[in-house]
Amino acid sequence: MKRSEIIGGGIIFFCGGMTVFLSLQMPIGTFRMAGSGLFPLCLGIALMLLAFLYLANLLFQKDAKRQSPKAEAPSPGAAGQMLLFLGASALATLCLNVLGYPLTSFLLMLSLLRILGVRQPALLVTLPLLTAAGSYLLFVQFLKIPLPKGLIGL
Amino acid sequence: MVESIQHLFTGFGIAATATNLLYCLLGAVAGTLVGILPGLGPIAGIALLIPVTFGLNPTSAIIMLCGIYYGAMYGGSTTSILLNVPGETASVITCIDGYQMARQGRAGPALAICAIGSFTAGTLAIFGMVFLAPPLAEAALAFGPPEYFSLMVCGFIVLSNVTGGSLIKSLMMAVLGLIIGTAGLDPVTGEYRFTFDTTYLLSGIEFVAVAIGLFGIAEVLANVDQPLEKLEQSVIVPRFRDLYPSLQDLKASVGAILRGAGIGFGVGLIPGPAPVIATYASYMVEKRISTHPETFGTGAIEGVAGPESANNAACQSAFIPLFVLGIPFAPPTAILLGALMIHGVVPGPMMIIEHPDVFWGVIASMYIGNFILLLLNLPFIPFFAGILRIPKKILLPLVMLFCLTGMYTVNNSVNDIWLMLFMGALGYLMRKWAYDAAPLLLALVIGPKMEVAFRQSLMLSHGNFGVFFERPISLVFLLATFLFLCVPAFRFIIRRFNGPPA
Repeated sequence: MKRSEIIGGGIIFFCGGMTVFLSLQMPIGTFRMAGSGLFPLCLGIALMLLAFLYLANLLFQKDAKRQSPKAEAPSPGAAGQMLLFLGASALATLCLNVLGYPLTSFLLMLSLLRILGVRQPALLVTLPLLTAAGSYLLFVQFLKIPLPKGLIGL
Repeated sequence: MVESIQHLFTGFGIAATATNLLYCLLGAVAGTLVGILPGLGPIAGIALLIPVTFGLNPTSAIIMLCGIYYGAMYGGSTTSILLNVPGETASVITCIDGYQMARQGRAGPALAICAIGSFTAGTLAIFGMVFLAPPLAEAALAFGPPEYFSLMVCGFIVLSNVTGGSLIKSLMMAVLGLIIGTAGLDPVTGEYRFTFDTTYLLSGIEFVAVAIGLFGIAEVLANVDQPLEKLEQSVIVPRFRDLYPSLQDLKASVGAILRGAGIGFGVGLIPGPAPVIATYASYMVEKRISTHPETFGTGAIEGVAGPESANNAACQSAFIPLFVLGIPFAPPTAILLGALMIHGVVPGPMMIIEHPDVFWGVIASMYIGNFILLLLNLPFIPFFAGILRIPKKILLPLVMLFCLTGMYTVNNSVNDIWLMLFMGALGYLMRKWAYDAAPLLLALVIGPKMEVAFRQSLMLSHGNFGVFFERPISLVFLLATFLFLCVPAFRFIIRRFNGPPA
């Protein structure tokens, strides 16, 4: 946990550093007439300072006195399941414009249900079908919000 | 005062039109469902339904979105009582006695008291709003950029202090949110910042994507990150005839409801996650003044009535700083601020004058909405409880699909979905590492206002930082900020002085 906390603090410190670096490329101006870079520069410095304090606190804290809650270690299967779930959603986003909304939503529901352990074939087909049709009717037909048509042109 | 009552009646005239009643009902029902369903809180719920309101006039749109907020507060208690799983954070306290009542076969009275308490407290809070908002708006006219800047700084510090986690982590999240909020067009000079030569970032970061990602997708991912067998849940579904509380229950709850309403209304006016703080404060007060404190935790009805009333009152009074100062003090009202601006309504002291139809119409609709929720929550509780029987392995994919679709419809942009998924993954990691997402979202929404106030203040004072300390109102906010910053230091010193706990 401590290692992951240090990594988290380090990432935030890096974000602060990047903000400072990028802000310095913009006009800073003066306090009287601030340029567009002044506010982000101040924020970047503040973030670096906070992250430094956090990291210093972590590094100098004795292990026995640490009060951070112990994270429950996720089972490898559950973590894989979560990554698959997120991956399937990302893949659906990638395919949305090509396949169109109805087909993408059908395939996404099918894969997400399968990832979460739904095995019954009837449910695996009918639920994605009903969801895809229902959401298409709601958004496209009822609310008149255009969604990607893709290959099937719906 | 008479003028306020006249305006309120005008508001009722606006809110009671067939169209607005329909949107109020839709908001209340959607909010109840959002509150009941795990994986969707009021923040993600409001953000998801913003696109649905695009075709509506501002009053109807805000009536519907507000309905979702307070509807979610009603709905959140249902899962707490029936499942021992809070629908949203403000319902955590209700689990303690509510679930115990359900286990004793008294789920019906617990749910009914929640509905009655929420209605009573919500109604009292609305009357408080009617009389407090106009004078506060007048007072807020005295606020200049330094006062607004100091108030926003104070708000962040208070929020970071009361979210329960580490102060430094919350502050880091707030600053990160402010940095993300600077992307896009500089509000003063019109130059582009942090766009990385992409057209997508020219208009800044889409706050709806951040909200749904951090609060909706992250919640779904956190649920999916569990072994399959843990995704199932058992629900106690009460029968209709068992719903009504006895006279003794009502007598025991009256005081708790009134005290909860008072506590909630007061807490809603200060920065921070008001409904959460209000429920904790109310529970503590009820336990302390009770003649039988030992029953708390074993199914005391006051432990349900007080916090649920406080929760609803805080949720209503949190609209006062939003409408009167234009500053949201909590993430759900921050989302509502974004929604108001999308609909061309700029909240602030001038809102009452410039958009009286929206202001008074929305306030009156809250009363109607509370009544609708009372009607919905008493007879339809078995129906809502039945929804909880839907297995999570079916519910979570549905929520994910709804988030993806809803996000696309905001700007018809796939890039928004990518941003939402990224924020979802970030929100998931933040949960794992115990970082609170609320300060980040709040900072993202009010960051541009804060920057403008900061730069205008310095322009006014010719670059002199003393302007923040020379003006009395600003000084009061900064002193409050200093005090809140000192609280953790005092706690640390006291802990050191007392030694480590045995």
